[in-house]
Amino acid sequence: MFFQDTTPDTSSYMILGYAVFFIATTIYLISFFVRSRNLRQDMSMLESMKPESKVMESKATAGKMTAGKPAKAKTSKPKASASKTKKKK
Amino acid sequence: MASKTLITDNKVKNASFSKAIAAVVWKDLSAEFRSRELFSAMLVFSLLVILIFNFALELDIKTRQSVTAGVLWVTFAFAGTLGLNRSMAVEKDRGCLDGLLLAPVDRAAIYFGKAISNLVFMLIVEAIVLPVYSFLYATNLFQPGLLLVILLGSVGYVAVGTLLASMAVQTRTRDVLLPILLFPVVIPVLIASVKASGGFLSGADFITEIMPWINLLLVYDVIFTAIAFMTFDYVVEE
Amino acid sequence: MQTKPIALKVLDIASVLLLAVATYLALFYAPTEAVMGQVQRVFYFHVPAAWVGLLGFIAAAVAGIVYLVTHDQKWDIIEMAAVEISLVFFFIAIVLGSIWARPIWNTWWTWDPRLTTAAITELIYIAYFMLRAGIEDPDRRARFGAVYTLVGAVSAPITFMVIRLFRTIHPVVIAGGDPNAQGTFAMTGGMQVAFFFGLFTFTVIFIDLFWNRIRLGNLAAKVEQLKLNITN
Repeated sequence: MFFQDTTPDTSSYMILGYAVFFIATTIYLISFFVRSRNLRQDMSMLESMKPESKVMESKATAGKMTAGKPAKAKTSKPKASASKTKKKK
Repeated sequence: MASKTLITDNKVKNASFSKAIAAVVWKDLSAEFRSRELFSAMLVFSLLVILIFNFALELDIKTRQSVTAGVLWVTFAFAGTLGLNRSMAVEKDRGCLDGLLLAPVDRAAIYFGKAISNLVFMLIVEAIVLPVYSFLYATNLFQPGLLLVILLGSVGYVAVGTLLASMAVQTRTRDVLLPILLFPVVIPVLIASVKASGGFLSGADFITEIMPWINLLLVYDVIFTAIAFMTFDYVVEE
Repeated sequence: MQTKPIALKVLDIASVLLLAVATYLALFYAPTEAVMGQVQRVFYFHVPAAWVGLLGFIAAAVAGIVYLVTHDQKWDIIEMAAVEISLVFFFIAIVLGSIWARPIWNTWWTWDPRLTTAAITELIYIAYFMLRAGIEDPDRRARFGAVYTLVGAVSAPITFMVIRLFRTIHPVVIAGGDPNAQGTFAMTGGMQVAFFFGLFTFTVIFIDLFWNRIRLGNLAAKVEQLKLNITN
């Protein structure tokens, strides 16, 4: 294939490759931070809206099955979302 | 006495299962026979695709031979999408799907019914496209081997397509989503069908060059029909 | 949302450190390959990235099946995390593979069965996210996601076998290079160290990202549930 004695200089491609890896990974990690921050903001906003809709919410969750976990729905508690919180590992 | 009732129970269940399938197929075919909307759309579309290929590719005699299989299968794939979309959309729009689901039949029967009627539509379209292509390009496409491949390929395509179309029709994006979902997953069928078709058309050696592709088609058909009818329940439950 | 468990914080730091060491090994410790030159070093991250993609692929398939059986939403969250990570890492693997191919075979794409299958799997993943995006109801979204993951998971290996069969019966001649060359080279001691350490590092990175992504998914599920409760 390469009929030459010296090794070809392909280092620019190597740099390109590693650059792609680190840039892609960094962008992915940043997306984690951004999404996490956005969700936390949404969460605090929704929780501040909760006192007003507490009554509505307890009525809603009393009759509604939460997605995928019908057995675990604690309908007696108004704070249904907090009761679904699982201790993560 | 107990075993006798068990046997008759199974017989009754099997009878109603196949009856249900037949009912769905009959419903679709007779509805289509009356209106012929779906069928004419698929047919016209296929003919247009062949026409476009004629101008897009230089189909002189030499190229034609190597390219016929590919052109045919691209045509079938696109026309098939049209058929699948319309077939499921009609169910949803006219509320037939809900009606079917209320009936006390096994969901799998509904799947097989839809899949068979979709297959019939696709085969009919293919049955018309073949002579048209043969006529336009003076190639004889009526070889038993080719017909076998077209059957196997269509079965695989429709098996997965019916399942995915049932999903796609329930989303916001509907029709647009089906090709996106279907094509990446149906690539083995397309590749194997094109290679096998091409092999038959060019008179290649059966055992070494065509059999592997046919085997692959059979395997794909069996596996995906099984997966489709086992998961169909989850796709249509409310 | 709960604070990060200590184990995860440790894992985060460990991943970064391991990655630093792996990079050093790949770029400096391993000897330069004689025929291909420096670009061969891309291999030390290309294969582990594909490996992570594969891990995610399998995790997604398993999670999908378990979800269909149990209807427990946590498996849907796990499935989506796995698909996302696999999507990112197969992408990295494909691009790195392309960069590696360019100076050696003078082409950006070689239609190699593994890379082509990875590319098709990427398309399946993108379709997966588009499917989920088009569904409002979380339960239906989870069900459809699981079914499609299962269909994709069975289809991808078959696709790989088909493409490989395609290449065996009809070998593709790649412009300017030996059509049978697979880019193989003999791995000497230093290379093996870099390679296997890379594999180990990326496995740890996978676990770290997977855990983090699942936590993110849990948070998203909670927020969505709150929104649904309030708007009802």
